[in-house]
Amino acid sequence: MKINAGNLKKGDFILYQNEIWQVQKAEFYAPGKGAALMKTKIWNVKTGKNIDITFKSGEEVEVVEVESRLMVFLYKDNENLYFMDEKTFNQYSVPLTAVSGLEKYLKEGEKLYVYIFNDVPLSVRPPLSVRLKVVKAEEAVKGDTVSSAKKPVTLETGAVIMAPLFIKEGDIVIVNPETGEYTGREGK
Amino acid sequence: MKIKVNFSNLKNHQNFIFIIRLIEEFLQKKGYLKIDLPVLSPTLIPESYLEVFETDFRYFDKREKLYLTPSPELFLKRLLVEGIGSCYYLGKSFRNSDPPSSLHSFEFTMLEFYKVKANYMDIADELLEILRYLNEKVKSDFALKINLNKWEKISVIKAFEKYAGIFEKELFDHQLFLQKARKKGYQVEKFSYEDVWSQIYVSEIEPHLGKNGYPTLIYDYPKEFAALAKLNPDGKTAQRFEFYINGIELGDCYTELADWKEQEERFLKEDKQRKKLGKINHPIDKGFIQALKYGLPDCAGIAIGVERLAMVFLGFDSIDKLKVMDIIL
Repeated sequence: MKINAGNLKKGDFILYQNEIWQVQKAEFYAPGKGAALMKTKIWNVKTGKNIDITFKSGEEVEVVEVESRLMVFLYKDNENLYFMDEKTFNQYSVPLTAVSGLEKYLKEGEKLYVYIFNDVPLSVRPPLSVRLKVVKAEEAVKGDTVSSAKKPVTLETGAVIMAPLFIKEGDIVIVNPETGEYTGREGK
Repeated sequence: MKIKVNFSNLKNHQNFIFIIRLIEEFLQKKGYLKIDLPVLSPTLIPESYLEVFETDFRYFDKREKLYLTPSPELFLKRLLVEGIGSCYYLGKSFRNSDPPSSLHSFEFTMLEFYKVKANYMDIADELLEILRYLNEKVKSDFALKINLNKWEKISVIKAFEKYAGIFEKELFDHQLFLQKARKKGYQVEKFSYEDVWSQIYVSEIEPHLGKNGYPTLIYDYPKEFAALAKLNPDGKTAQRFEFYINGIELGDCYTELADWKEQEERFLKEDKQRKKLGKINHPIDKGFIQALKYGLPDCAGIAIGVERLAMVFLGFDSIDKLKVMDIIL
């Protein structure tokens, strides 16, 4: 389906130079001379590469219908993440290159949306947050009362993130898997 | 649309107001006269690349169309003709069809000032002084980390050659330009020279401007973008500059066109283009042409987006951060 670039919004999938990209950012821009423009940041679902592209707002862009299907994350190896569609029991693999670091925060058995185009899995929709157990955390240095101070902690998936000093082993922390940022601790 | 209160921005907002005060302080010290102006007008300068807000005045059965001004130019130039001398307006301007973004707001604060017996490069000198003044007075932790002792000046011709690999010959010849753009991968079918030019300018030129340790002044635009600027003797370019800090366009300056005939022709062309694009069909400001017939003194003027300027000085990445009250989609 073709739409005017002026109608692009974050999350849309587009065909650009024969590859599928997802719009990460789309901002209207009127330079005061010539056409109004749409400044976008797009993400290549295959390579994970981000690029900035400026479209004329009246330019036609091919939007592709990408399906997002809920699947169970089974396991990963050095190249791929493996998922199973619970309805059909079909297995799908998504290359690590397409998820740009997301795999560090994924637990086996977790349910995630996988982007599928023509029955080929493209990438994984990053969840807004993940809850992971802290398996290693150094004791905070006494006397360090700066509220913004952080320390590294190791999560059950092996990922290391920076968390506030009060986080202890066994805590469940909430993490933004796209940035690896600590966003909170689960209440007990 | 809804109203959004951003009370946590109060401190930023106060800094924004402080910057406005500094600008006014500077201009008044330099002898510019402050003028307050209407924002509703029955006629406007036709500009094809922007859309306006339309409303109407009602009194019993009488109705008359009014338009929110996208710039105070139509009023200030009338006053210049009257002999007011160097002057400025600092207040709201309105541009429809500009959805809110980090750099746009359909209602924004514009500073427009005119200097008589001056050309665009005289304004450039004055502007640099303003930037230095702001940087000295704004608290040091906000001060710009760039050198304001001079401009990095680059002509549009040089910039296209340096950053986009488009040479002078291709830049001015519409057919050659579009051919080159197509080769570079741009969609050119169904689009005008101006549209594609603007796309390449934003994609390939703007990201480099104001990033080499100095603010950048990019000057002499092709005559297609002359708007209300005087042409250079080469006949191909207009005496227009824009200035940039950190890739962000902050202002637009012209040596003002005083030739009423040429201005009228440009108005008719812009009006025709507006109709073709299906834009709001407001009356052309004929009084403006009348005023030019009477005689506009030699002068140059600049329009500056004050939110953008403050945003850059205060180190923010969006004009939203300056607002305590906002209308959002």
